[in-house]
Amino acid sequence: MLPFQEQVISDLLDDRNGGLVVVASGFPFSSLIASLLLLHHPSAGSFLLLSASEPQKSAISAALRRAAPVHTDPLPFPSDLPSDLPSHHRTALYASGAALFVTPRILVADLLTSRVPPSSVATLVVLNAHRLSDTSTEAFIARILHSYSPSTPIVAFTDCPHAMVSGFSKAERIMKSLFVRRLHLWPRFHVLVSSDLERTPPEVVDVRVPMSAAMKGIQDAILGSMDACLRELRRTNKVDVEDLTVENGLFKSFDEIVRRQLDPIWHTLGKKTKQLVSDLKTLRKLLDYLVRYDAVLYLKYLDTLRVSEGVQSMWIFADSSYKIFELAKRRVYQVVRADGTKSSLDDKSTPSKKRRVNDKRKKESEGDDADGRKVDANVGIMLEEVLEEAPKWKVLRELLEEIEAERREENQSEEGQTKVEDAGDLSDIVLVACKDEHSCLQLEDCILKGPHQVMRDEWEKYLLGKVELHNLRKRNKKKSQEPKGFGLLDGIVTAGSSDNTDPSSISKFENDALLAAASELRIPANKESVLEENNQSDGRRKGYKKTRGKKTRSKGKPMTGNPGFNFKIDQINTNENISSGNNGALGQPATGSMQNDQESSLENVCIDRSDIQAHAAESVPAASRQTKLLPPVQFYALDSDQQILNALKPSVIIVYHPNMTFVREIEFYQAENPSKKLKVYFLFYEDSAEVQKFEASIRRENSAFESLIRQKSLMMIPVDQNGRCIGASTPSETESIILQNSLTRKAGGRMSQGRKMQVIVDMREFMSSLPNVLHLKGMHVIPVTLEVGDYVLSPMICVERKSIADLFQSFASGRLYHQVETMIRYYKMPVLLIEFSQDKSFSFQSTNDIGDDVSPTNITSKLSLLVLHFPRLRLVWSRNVHATAEIFASLKQNQDEPDESKAIRVGVPSEDGVVDNDVRAENYNTSAIEFLRRLPGVTDTNYRALMDGCKNLAELALLPVERLAELMGGQKAARTLKEFLDAKCPTLS
Amino acid sequence: PSVPPSTVSSVSGSGQNRNSILVSQRQKGNPLLKHVRNVRWMFADVVCDYFLGQSSCALYISLRYHLLHPDYLYYRIRELQNNYKLRVVLCHVDVEDVVKPLLEVTRTAMLHDCTLLCGWSFEECARYLETLKVYENKPSDSIREHMHTDYLSRLNHALTSIRHVNKTDVVTLGSTFGSLSGIMDASMEDLARCPGIGERKVKRLYDTFHEPFRRVS
Repeated sequence: MLPFQEQVISDLLDDRNGGLVVVASGFPFSSLIASLLLLHHPSAGSFLLLSASEPQKSAISAALRRAAPVHTDPLPFPSDLPSDLPSHHRTALYASGAALFVTPRILVADLLTSRVPPSSVATLVVLNAHRLSDTSTEAFIARILHSYSPSTPIVAFTDCPHAMVSGFSKAERIMKSLFVRRLHLWPRFHVLVSSDLERTPPEVVDVRVPMSAAMKGIQDAILGSMDACLRELRRTNKVDVEDLTVENGLFKSFDEIVRRQLDPIWHTLGKKTKQLVSDLKTLRKLLDYLVRYDAVLYLKYLDTLRVSEGVQSMWIFADSSYKIFELAKRRVYQVVRADGTKSSLDDKSTPSKKRRVNDKRKKESEGDDADGRKVDANVGIMLEEVLEEAPKWKVLRELLEEIEAERREENQSEEGQTKVEDAGDLSDIVLVACKDEHSCLQLEDCILKGPHQVMRDEWEKYLLGKVELHNLRKRNKKKSQEPKGFGLLDGIVTAGSSDNTDPSSISKFENDALLAAASELRIPANKESVLEENNQSDGRRKGYKKTRGKKTRSKGKPMTGNPGFNFKIDQINTNENISSGNNGALGQPATGSMQNDQESSLENVCIDRSDIQAHAAESVPAASRQTKLLPPVQFYALDSDQQILNALKPSVIIVYHPNMTFVREIEFYQAENPSKKLKVYFLFYEDSAEVQKFEASIRRENSAFESLIRQKSLMMIPVDQNGRCIGASTPSETESIILQNSLTRKAGGRMSQGRKMQVIVDMREFMSSLPNVLHLKGMHVIPVTLEVGDYVLSPMICVERKSIADLFQSFASGRLYHQVETMIRYYKMPVLLIEFSQDKSFSFQSTNDIGDDVSPTNITSKLSLLVLHFPRLRLVWSRNVHATAEIFASLKQNQDEPDESKAIRVGVPSEDGVVDNDVRAENYNTSAIEFLRRLPGVTDTNYRALMDGCKNLAELALLPVERLAELMGGQKAARTLKEFLDAKCPTLS
Repeated sequence: PSVPPSTVSSVSGSGQNRNSILVSQRQKGNPLLKHVRNVRWMFADVVCDYFLGQSSCALYISLRYHLLHPDYLYYRIRELQNNYKLRVVLCHVDVEDVVKPLLEVTRTAMLHDCTLLCGWSFEECARYLETLKVYENKPSDSIREHMHTDYLSRLNHALTSIRHVNKTDVVTLGSTFGSLSGIMDASMEDLARCPGIGERKVKRLYDTFHEPFRRVS
């Protein structure tokens, strides 16, 4: 552990009541938690870790393993608390003083039912504190804990400083809701932090790769469009313009800024403004994908975008967007007329193609040359492939070669000194970090097969996609006898017969040319495989229908006569690696599990190396004939959130997609292993949005910390005599403060003298903040599992709560109808509570969404229909969760308190099938009626007549159709029913 | 049967009245009426504000009016007496600070057996009235669980309504007895012979099919 981390811990322990720790993104707060865990002693009570994500859980375990002194055993590994554990087991587990990962929902229910005596909690650690609010369940837990055992320390962590400044004095409110008074800020620019991290800085090589002209053009066009959209948005005068800059527009949080401003007035906005907001999102994605996707995939994405966005989008019709599409296309292919203009264009473009492709890589095979230009006689146009490769690909390869060359030199000089590095095998690995799994796989392919081949593969896939789309459309028109799959590519598709219903607005000619290109695809592929005697193209062909993993493997084998490549295919393997064996044992056996093929385990790498060289020389195809050796490479997707650095111990890291968090992780890795000579390469596109985004993210974090420091100096945290935080005290909540105080000091206080209101709440409802607010209002919240309804306020009143999103969704699924139906059956006053959210507008729809006619899909219609069918259903409309609590309190006046044991039994059938409390069940065979109403032809209007007409269902099944028609009042319905009853059931063959 | 006498006396005899909303004279000048376009409406002498059909009616209240006359709603509801199955309080939300007045309206409506509907504009309020009238006799299909129309889904839908019966059982039953009527006619022994159908399920199935719809006491 670094000195400053020890400082963090000692600062934190300084205050027995805990505190809120905000660290910079990428700081290993897992090791902070690990050291807290090591300080914990089971006799003090249990150590609870709240709302940790899966990667965080594994990170904490890994950090614990590293941090533990050699002789501590057993290590206090926190375990998950299974949600289905019987209650007495839980109590025992909590009492055992173990460290546990718990979800807020389970913990709050356990606290309320006293399955966890609050006194048995020694420490509560809340992770991801930036997600908290006054009404979140974590705050609820803190309040219960605080009211029963105010001395329990609560420690909260977050590594998202910019999320801590997003609202009005958010940090302060979070601290109050957790009852902590200390805010610990640990920015990267903190003196202790920077001195620790900069003691042994890694060697950093910043590689600026120039973007291709087309990429640059696209980027400029996107930025131009974004600027135009922003200007347009400003003109609406609906948003605060200060935050709306193109720089902010590069981040995801930009959407949040805009939405937060617009949500309360969302329904008053015109279509245009809404469209602008979503356009900005699309443009940001386009900018991001520009540096992440290859040219073909990018074009494909644009194609789909054009189809899906098409009509409404504003930006798509702007001049600059035309440029985006045009340039993106030109990175992949060009269409040239084959007639008069042909010669001139031909002269110009053929060499250009060769420049782009042939000069960079080596000469193409003849097959490629032949399909490089395709002349379709019918149409007279020619498709010319450009297939621009991502500039970073080449640089990556060169870097790897350079690293290997350097290493060999070093090795040679070291061999003279007969010094053999033991850890050498592991640190040989070069770690390449990119954004996502897709880039990992693609880069891997690039190294294996050469970039040109990767582009060709993508291109073929693109063309095949086009053909498939085309055929699909054709098949819909007339049944085609063409076989599926690759057979149809062998010249069966004639470009001339294509119909021009292509949704993407590519011109007919162009489309035909694409199809023609696809139909010729197979021929060169055959040639290649004949020409070159390796099964590469075979592998490719097979690979198409297989999963990616398999594909890589089948291709990998013939190619990897070169076991020096060390590809991470399986995430699970890496996981195993992390969790198995501790720090010291992370040697060769662990690496073996990481590899795809056991035979190519690292042990053999050095021995085989000379062997490989000979082997590689003969087997490496023309496509990648550079025989320079590459070091073992491990690809890592930043999105996967693995603890890769400490598991792999690389000495060379190539950051392919720069990312601030990962940079910090590297810094810590170096600082924790000062003896290691770490070399880090950054691959940036020069003058790109990528650089801008990276730099902006650092600026943004710094300014967030500066703002937090300022807030900290002005913060007002009310404290009682013992120096404990009293909690939230906004004027609107004075009433609840009195209540809280009385709860705190007199264990029940004022309310218990009178009558404490009780509300029975379904367990599942603890995901929402209403139980918390009810508790805050001084009600006694009883968590149980309810079969019917969400809240039971009294023996008569049962409430089904729906947020707006829930309401729409459960109308659509029909669940709401069913829920209301059962509520009506068991309660005298069934209530449907429609709860709006405070930061969204208080209405269903804007006036222009109402439309001119009564439309069955509109929410108004659905609600009316529900009301018509259930006249006894009461509707409650609530502005926000606090208003709901008030309404509940008001409804409970003059009502009896609900009975917990009765509420649990409602709707749950007992063994003999009779449902408790069901008034109808005594007089009716409810199960039979339900069954009857579900039969086709039976409707709300005719089922009663059917019940009158026969004794039971068995009799109904035997009634002739004429009699049915009589009862049901219609031939058609009767026939439907009869046919269904007598239909031959399909048997299993 | 539940039409209040006052209504009958004033509007009986004209057939088209049944298809129109009858509006109380009190509502004269309410801008809402301008937006009732999909349904015919006419002034009539009715106790409620809007007479929507044989068994349903609506009262109109705007929150702004409620703030001025907090007792108004209560007296209007009391006037209605228990003549309607569905009594709607149509609340026009036309103030900024809604929490307190809305709470009062909600409470009054709830305690006096009225269903509260909220609209945020005259258009929306008018649309509720129109819809309630137009959908007077509409079945609830469109808000019930959507069902696939193929045979097996329908069979599943019907049979799984019986507790403890799962989809595997449906297939078992179907292939054993050949048709739904076969299943419904099966004896207890036959049902028990099916794999996976235990004693409990047999009883539930048999009871569902053979117990009379109405238990006569």
